[in-house]
Amino acid sequence: MASKLERSLQGFAAKLRGFLSRQGHDAEFDDEIQEHLQLLTEKYLTQGMSREEATRAARRQFGNTTLLRENRRELQTLTSLEALWLDLRYSLRTLWKSRAFAAVSIATLALGIGAATAIFSVIDNVLLAPFPYKGASRMVFPRIHGAEQDEDEGRQGYTAAEALELAESSQIFDGSVATEEDLVLYRHGGGTDQLYGARVTPGAFEFFGMPALYGRVMQPRDYEPGAPPVFILRYKTWKERFGEDLSILNKSFVLNGTARTLIGIMPPRFGWYDADLYIPEKLTRSAGVGPAGYPNWFFLGRLKPGLRDEQAQVALTVVANGLAKLHPHDYPAQFTVLVKHIGDTVFEHFKATLYIVLTAVGLLLLIACSNVANLMLARATTREREFALRTALGARRARLIRLLMIESMVLALAGAALGTAFAWGGLKLLVASMPQELIPAEAVIQLNAPVLIFTLCVAALTALIFGLAPALQLSRRDINDSLRDSGKGMGSRSQDGWLRDAVVVGEVALSLVLLISAGLLMRSFVALRHANLGLRADHVFQTMLVLPAERYKTTEQLVQFVRPLLSRVKALPGVVDAAESSRLPPYGGNQTEIDIAGKAHLENWQSLFQYVSEGYFRTLRIELRQGRTFSEAEINNARKVAVVNETFARRYLANQNPIGQRVRLENLETEANTPQNAWFEIVGVVGDVTNRIPQGGVDPELWLPYTLATPGRQVLIVRTAQDPATMMDLVRKEVWAMDSGVALAYSNTLEGFINERIYAGPRFGSIMMTIFGCVGLILVTVGVYSLLAYSTARKTQEIGIRMALGARPADVLGMVIGSGLRLVLGGIAIGVATSLLLGRFIGGQLIGVTAYDPVTLGATTLLLTLTAASACWIPARRAARVDPMIALRDQ
Amino acid sequence: MDTKKSEVLQGTLDLMILKTLQALGPLHGFGIARRIEQVSHDTLQLNEGTVYTSLLRMQQQGWIKAAWGTSTNNRKAKFYSITKRGQKQLEIETENWERISGVIGRVLRLETER
Repeated sequence: MASKLERSLQGFAAKLRGFLSRQGHDAEFDDEIQEHLQLLTEKYLTQGMSREEATRAARRQFGNTTLLRENRRELQTLTSLEALWLDLRYSLRTLWKSRAFAAVSIATLALGIGAATAIFSVIDNVLLAPFPYKGASRMVFPRIHGAEQDEDEGRQGYTAAEALELAESSQIFDGSVATEEDLVLYRHGGGTDQLYGARVTPGAFEFFGMPALYGRVMQPRDYEPGAPPVFILRYKTWKERFGEDLSILNKSFVLNGTARTLIGIMPPRFGWYDADLYIPEKLTRSAGVGPAGYPNWFFLGRLKPGLRDEQAQVALTVVANGLAKLHPHDYPAQFTVLVKHIGDTVFEHFKATLYIVLTAVGLLLLIACSNVANLMLARATTREREFALRTALGARRARLIRLLMIESMVLALAGAALGTAFAWGGLKLLVASMPQELIPAEAVIQLNAPVLIFTLCVAALTALIFGLAPALQLSRRDINDSLRDSGKGMGSRSQDGWLRDAVVVGEVALSLVLLISAGLLMRSFVALRHANLGLRADHVFQTMLVLPAERYKTTEQLVQFVRPLLSRVKALPGVVDAAESSRLPPYGGNQTEIDIAGKAHLENWQSLFQYVSEGYFRTLRIELRQGRTFSEAEINNARKVAVVNETFARRYLANQNPIGQRVRLENLETEANTPQNAWFEIVGVVGDVTNRIPQGGVDPELWLPYTLATPGRQVLIVRTAQDPATMMDLVRKEVWAMDSGVALAYSNTLEGFINERIYAGPRFGSIMMTIFGCVGLILVTVGVYSLLAYSTARKTQEIGIRMALGARPADVLGMVIGSGLRLVLGGIAIGVATSLLLGRFIGGQLIGVTAYDPVTLGATTLLLTLTAASACWIPARRAARVDPMIALRDQ
Repeated sequence: MDTKKSEVLQGTLDLMILKTLQALGPLHGFGIARRIEQVSHDTLQLNEGTVYTSLLRMQQQGWIKAAWGTSTNNRKAKFYSITKRGQKQLEIETENWERISGVIGRVLRLETER
């Protein structure tokens, strides 16, 4: 057996040699034959024949020389390659002759392939390879995950000492960087602006492996304490804030009161931490917590090659256990260290949407394929005689299938070419409608080599899907049937009819699945928008006030700024109310462990907390459930009182009156500048406000008087009587009248903010699905129409006879529409069943609507039925207008 | 066409050519055709062109090899000779042939005895 393979390989090698050097060998072979004929002739001459007779006898004896040459060719050359070329030319010619068919097929495929290419581009650039960094696939960050925490919860901010400890785990990482966000106030002539800075540790730029676009990256000496202060700018910020002005390089900027020299501008794709600028910092073990007030160094390491995530998790858990012994209160009682890859944070929630969209695109592609398959089947029937003739003349079945597959391949490649053009245009639209904060800052969404390879593979696959069935069907036919048959079948449906029907049924089913998911996502999105956030977002304007840290260190300094500011803003015309808080609503506050007096608990009790002024609940229209909110006196006197949300009361104080209970916030005791005694008395319970962003839901939360807080993030919330956006300039003026060194960041209406942060993802999903649903609907309409148009055209004669025998046009109309609707209804039944089965997969993405929502199912089914019925109408009308005389003559 | 002449059985031409080359050493195509004609005493009807197809096929299988040489009357000709692998193949084919022809012979005798 081995020798058989060997021999066939040898044969192939010989063929290849022959193919490559055919000219010379052909001549040689001809010489050999001529020589042989010559010798034969001579032999006959010696037997006494005349020269003429001898030549003829020699030829007879030798046989057909042309056939011999052909045999030899077949043996010695790759005839298949030549035949392939012939088939290809033939395909192009026949497709050119049936241009309408080719155009419809190519356009249909282009829609499907284009959509798939566009979505795959997004997936490739956002999910698969978004980061331009060296060894990005091995870049991970550890997360301390408490045993009692939800799956996606845990701590990933570290103290400087912890980050150093992790960085020194050289058996796990071959490089690392720690990053801490640092809001930067940039004083310029006009006032103060806030930039988003990131402090990075030595070796950061070497770790990412990207050189500066202009200037230089940081050198080891730049990180040393006492070195001249420098910073590096991100390309996007350079472009948007400084208009790509190169003269700012090596200039000095006052950032947070320090003059720093701009030493470099990074290339466009460098966007680590989504920061505007990078400041060097060397970690020391003695450093306390940073400006955030809690451990906030984000540690990113590159795993050693070959080290698997699970191994790293085990090794890191060992390191963390060592740290937990030194700082037990920073760690949950029981925890593991999870290893997360960069990007996980960015698109954890966007991933599901993208994969649903990809599935939808796959379905769309299938519909496009089945449309083309149907068109090919219809065309194949008219070509039966051509193929029967080919078979009769000796064409083998494989050869016929090959011819048809080449036609399919030509269509698919043309569709892929057009589809790539579609994708190129569609991507621009897609990128514009995509929620920007859900994709990594480094990602550039574009068509690239992997995407184009994907497109080619898809094209080849589609050719197989839509081409194989017609090819097999056509080549299997008994040649006698077709040759005897006059070509246009009468009455009874031809054998391949069921296949075309099945294709339409499948198409309707797939399209309905798409439409139903689009409908569900849309309803879910509408429900999300109308869902009770727990606060009234309309007529609210909010902005983050960034206080210069050097002048705002103590609670007194903070209160001295905030209290008069609130009264000034409240006095503005058009302002209904104003309040201060430590977090931008609807985000929840910081996390802390808590204890409640007199309640023993084994598990870890957690709550969010933030600091607010007395007008906070009133301004946001958060409903009071029990007790009261803070009084002005309590705020002014910095009383140790707290307001909790319903979830807090339900979870930790079930079946008790929460009012008067005392709660301890553990984090407050560990932070500097806060009172040692962190026991608070609960004075009120308010309604739940969404505080788990973006996935939705409510965690326990506590509100404390802001007069107990140290300056950090201050948020000014203003309820207005008119359009809140118009108040922005007035508020800014008041702020700068108090202190021109304070910057305003994230200024937006609350509705606009929620729109961007919470709704963008679901909206993107529902828009995409709606577009796909519509495209699917168009494809199905084309599919149903072309099937009926084709089958009624073939039945013209039958219809003529029926009408000659007395059928009225209405009967014919009913017959054709009936035959079409039967298929559509079959498809709808399958589609509904499939949707119900798939329900639990999409269910997780839905808010406020179940996957089995009868309204959505009913509406989409009706829409599809009506569309399909109208697709039946045109061919049916044409059939009803058939003139029996003409129909019967037409044969 | 002479009805007494038999057509060459598919596949047997290879066997005949191999045997000829084994027995007589290197030969050109014309020589092979003459030899088969001579041995068969004109009972075989052979298109001599098919010899070349067979030669080509066996060359690809590696059973024979070809080299340019000079024929007896001093003309350039391609000489074919059997290879080691060809020898082995000849043995197999010969054994096969004898077994099959023996079987067929016995079957045919049975037919006439009844």
